[in-house]
This record gives sequence, structure tokens and C-alpha cells, in this order.
Amino acid sequence: MRKKRKNNIQGLIFMAPAALAAIVFIVVPIAYAFFMMFFNINLLSGTRTFIGFDNFGKIISDPRFWAALRNTTTYVVVVVPIQTAIALIMAALLNSKIKFNRVFLTVMFIPTLTSSSAMTLIFMWLFNNNGLIVNQIEQLTGIRTQFLTNPDLALSVIMIMNIFSTVPHFMVVFLSGLQDIPTNLYEASSIDGASKIRQFFHVTIPQLMPILFYVVTMGVVGTFQIFDQAFILSGGTGGPQNATLTFTLYIYQLAFTSNDMGRASAMSFILGVIIFTFTAIINKVMKADEMNG
Amino acid sequence: MNKFIKSLGLVSTIALLAACNNDDGATDNDTGDNEEGVTNENGGNVNLAVWGSSPAETNAMEETISSFEEETGIEVELEIIQDNFQDAMTARFAANNAPDVFYLEAFAAPMFMESGVLENLSGEIDDVDDFFDPLIDVFRSGEDELYAVPKDYSTLALYVNEDILEAAGYSVEDIPRDWDDLLAFADELQDNLEDDQAAMLFDQSLARHYSAFINNGLDPAGEEGRADFTSNPEVIDYFQSIIDGKEAGYMQNPQIDMGIDSAGAAFGANKAAMMMEGNWVISALNQEYSDLNYAVVESPTINGEEQSMTFSVGYAVSKDSENRDEAISFINYMTNAGLKQWSELSGTLPPRGSIADEMNLLDNPVLAPHVAAADYGTVWSSGESLPIVSAAFDNYFQAAINGDMTVEEALQAAEDEANAELDRR
Repeated sequence: MRKKRKNNIQGLIFMAPAALAAIVFIVVPIAYAFFMMFFNINLLSGTRTFIGFDNFGKIISDPRFWAALRNTTTYVVVVVPIQTAIALIMAALLNSKIKFNRVFLTVMFIPTLTSSSAMTLIFMWLFNNNGLIVNQIEQLTGIRTQFLTNPDLALSVIMIMNIFSTVPHFMVVFLSGLQDIPTNLYEASSIDGASKIRQFFHVTIPQLMPILFYVVTMGVVGTFQIFDQAFILSGGTGGPQNATLTFTLYIYQLAFTSNDMGRASAMSFILGVIIFTFTAIINKVMKADEMNG
Repeated sequence: MNKFIKSLGLVSTIALLAACNNDDGATDNDTGDNEEGVTNENGGNVNLAVWGSSPAETNAMEETISSFEEETGIEVELEIIQDNFQDAMTARFAANNAPDVFYLEAFAAPMFMESGVLENLSGEIDDVDDFFDPLIDVFRSGEDELYAVPKDYSTLALYVNEDILEAAGYSVEDIPRDWDDLLAFADELQDNLEDDQAAMLFDQSLARHYSAFINNGLDPAGEEGRADFTSNPEVIDYFQSIIDGKEAGYMQNPQIDMGIDSAGAAFGANKAAMMMEGNWVISALNQEYSDLNYAVVESPTINGEEQSMTFSVGYAVSKDSENRDEAISFINYMTNAGLKQWSELSGTLPPRGSIADEMNLLDNPVLAPHVAAADYGTVWSSGESLPIVSAAFDNYFQAAINGDMTVEEALQAAEDEANAELDRR
């Protein structure tokens, strides 16, 4: 009994620094935001008036909220499956015994190490109306497409950029998972006459489920919070015609353009609920609880 | 191998976390400076927060501060914020951790003035009449209320690349002053240029075109709580002329149409014959493109009237400042006795007429058009609603440029969006 208590104290002491940091930098701000979302707050002077659920009503009636919802959801639905699939395929290729796989790994990891602001500027240069991509497409097809200023395509530039920069990170995560799969499973299945492709779907993927869950969850959370690329591409406006307005950019505009911290807090809460719901659904669908024991 | 991969994964995670932290560098700065603010209790010191627009300006600021410190014995703690300066200041006020003295852009001034967080400087500043009226008037909100003092300003003027013009068979004297004639000239000039050159560069943000509204007697953010882009249909002609120019190809946007970072870079690299820019491009043009032969003339007239945009930045003191008197004497020094030193070192324009005369700015062919515009330029500032109004305009005017909407529709859509947002506030 005494030993147990001693262990408890020891555990608490070990946890204290991290717990303290989490309370100060995560729990308290969340609680404060929770409090602020019921007020009309002037960020500068700090004056506030209680307005109940009005902030939520204002958000729901704002067409820009729906634009942000549409953009962000499209973004998540397109980016997460593609980045997960590409990362998995590339990891599987690197895990096979191709030559120079370390060289490939190093080269392919570079986009993840590049800061997203620099990456955005590079992509804006590639996709501008006189840029490499536009000119190449014109040479091949004769059609002149505009990317950055076209509301239908501006978001897709950000999508491509995000996939390009996050795939290497997830690829490395998958690769470490692949290398943990015992080789005897593959031997056994090949004795049973399974082809490489059947092995991939019936041995590799089931063994990778915990990793897959991690990658999809982090992908969803990361894509819902997309901010810097959209901010730089549109100069902070979310234009053209709200085509690059994402949730976090909308929150930023509420706080700093409209000077309305209450509504920005309410919107953060809504975003939190949305991310929470999505993660819960993924958890259910992928049965993460069972596989993680 | 396995271990290597895992550690690589770990490193990348740390790198990602670090990258995330960088995103809100402004807030990081705040926590860092927090401590400095706290240690500054012995009195007599002034905290100064400035926007670090360029190394030259930072050096100029440091040198002018040392002159002030020698003269008065008051110490100044300089803090340089690199990006999104005004947002960082808003966050500092929200955290009750405002610096004593800070830069205040005229654009954001109404929001700060109406929130009541600034110290009233009326009666504290020497020789106020010497400032160019438009530059200081934006910081007043009543008879005896003055909330900031201009430190410098920029105005737009027309830059002309003489080499390109000569190669095409023209000279600077051929350039008409009137806006419509200028566009006709640009159209004609475009035919004599190389394929990758543009006759004129344009920037589509409202900050560059506000004077065209004012010129037609319409202030889009003038009325409290209402946006108005459409009540004067004459404005539409002006914006239509930009769209026509863009479609005909003689007006190009440097970033979007040419893939060049800035108008100055496109102009310096001989890709554009004319651009309307502020005096902030001069140092880059002289240093990075020293072979370039260019001339500067005043901004075109619209409806026969002189117009330009003016960007005024001032020093403001926060109301909670514990070093109010020191802060005010610092501002008085920087905008008076030390103003010439600051203007000369930083290459900015002095907001005082007397110093502009002393520096013989009107004899400088490059600066004279900019200084002349200080009298008639529209200062980029209006009511408290301007940030919302301008964000809505920038969001929708692109649709008109794309041809998805007519100018009228785009202005209407921008007006509706801004008004809806103002109603919600």
C-alpha cells in the first residue's frame, strides 16, 4: 500500500512540469476562450458586454462562415486521402530493396523541412500567370489557365502545396511502421501462395493500422487548421471571392480586422467541435481503440 | 536503420513544432518582451516598439535614439517587430502589456483612438502647425484631441524607366498628366515594347485607389458603420479603365501577371516602363539596380484634379504608460530636433515643412514629386470601419479583374459584404 502511494507521488512529480505547462498554455487559454465567446469584446480596450449566444447567431448568419466551411471541408476531404495514399505508396517503395533508397529518402524529406511560408512563395512563383506551370500547360494544351486569381483553382494550389510538403513526413512515419512488421508474416503468406499485391493489402495494411490511424488523424487536424498558406496567397483577405478563406483565416479576420474577440473565440470553439467530431468518427471507423489495446 | 528512421521522424516532428511556433512569431515576441517590460520599473526609461521595415531604418532608429539619450539622459529600450506590426500591437494592448511609445499607422489609427487606449498629446507637442496638415489631421479626433505625431510619410508618384521609353521612341516629356490620357499613352507604348515588358504596373488593393473614390466625392468608409462603394457611379469608370488596361495587356500586376515579387523589382529589372509606387522603392532602385535610368513625376490627375495616396505613420503613447513624460519628450525630440537626422539616415520623408525645406527636398528631382503630394494626397485612413471595408474590396475587385463580375457587381458585392459584417459587429 505504502509502496503504491510512493509510486503515485513519484509519478505526479515526474508529470508536474509537463502538466504545469499544459495547464498554463493550454487549459487556461481554452477556459478563457470558452468564457469570452459569450461576450462582445473590444480587444484593444478590454471592455466587454455579455451577449449570450449572439456570437454564434452572428457566425451562422455570415456567408463567409459557410464559405470557410465549404473551403476547409473540401480541403480536408481532398488532401487527407491523397496525402495518406501517396505517403503509404512511397514508403512501400522505399521499403523494398531499391538502390539508393537512403538518397531518395533524404531528397524527398526536404519539402517537410522547408518553412511553409517559403514554400508558399515558391508555389506562387510556379503558378503565377507567367509562371512555369501556366506556360507549360499552355504549350501542351494551348489553353491559358489562371491559378492564383481564379476562385475555382486558387485553393487547389494550396492543396497541392500542402500535399507536397506533408507527404514526406508521413512517409517517414509509415516507413518506420513498415520496418516493424515481422518478416515471418511475409514468409508465411508467400508459402501460402500470396502475391506481392495481396501481401500488401492483407499483411502490410492490417499491420499498419495503428500508424494509419495516427497519420489520418494528424492529417485531419493539420488540414482543418490550415492558415499560413492561405494567408500569404491571398494577402490575408481570403480572396479571390472568399475562395481561400479557411476557418483559421476567418478567425484571424474576426479578431484583427473586425476587432471582435468574442466572435473569434466562438468560432474557435466551433472549429474545435468540428475537429473533435471528425476525429471521433475516424476513431470509430478505424476501430482505433481495439487495435491500440 | 530502424533507429535512424525513428530519430528522423522525431527530428521532423520537432522541426514541425518549431515551424508551428514560428507562425505566430508576433505572440512569441510578446512573451519575450514581457520580461523586459517588467524590469523597466526604475522609471525614466521608455519602451519603444517599432516596425523593422528595413535594416537601414533600424540603424537610423538606433542612431537617432542614441542622440536623444545623450541629449536627455533618458534611456530608450528599442524593440523591433518584424511582421504584422499593427496586429502585434493589438495583441499587446489586449494583454495589458503595451509599450510606452509605438508606431501607429494612420490606417489603424481610428480603431486605436476610439478604443480610448491612447494618451492625448494635444498641447504637449511643439510647433504643431509646422506639420503638413493631412499628415497630422488623421491623428486628431476632435478640437483638443491629438493621439499621434507623424514620424514620416510616403506618397505615390509615377516612376518612369527612361531607357525603355527611349528605346520605344519616347521621352519623359511625352507622358501626359491626366489619367485617361496616360492610359491611352500606355496602350500606345505597349505596342513598341518587348513581349515580356509591360507599359504600366498596377496594384489592385484599395490602399492604392482610395484617392480615386475621394476624388469623386465618395468616402467608402466615411460614414460610421456603413460601407459605400456605389453611390457615385463615376467611380465605376475609373475602375473600368483599370480592367480595360489589364485586358488589353498594357497594365500588369507584377506578382500575378509577371511572377515578380514586387513592382520595384519588375521596374528595376527593365520589365516595366511605368509604375505608381511610393518613395519606399527608391533605396532598392538605387542600390540593387544602380544601372537603371529612371525619372519620377507626380501621380496622374483624375477629373482634372491632383491626387495621390499618402501613407502616414506616427508615434503614439499608450494611456497606461508609466513613463508618460519621458515618452512625450522622446516624441518631441524625434519629430522635431532629431527629425532631420532620422529622415536623412532612414531615407524617409520628414512630415515637417520646415525640415523638408532645410533638406532642400524640392530640389531633389526624385523626391520632389513625393513631397509635393504631401499637400494634396489622400491619407490612407478613414473611419474605424476602414479595415473591414478595404478587406471586402480586395476580396471582390479581383472578380472584376477576372471578368467574373462587372465592376458594378463587384463593388456592390464588396459593399454588401462589408455592410453585413459592420452590422454584425
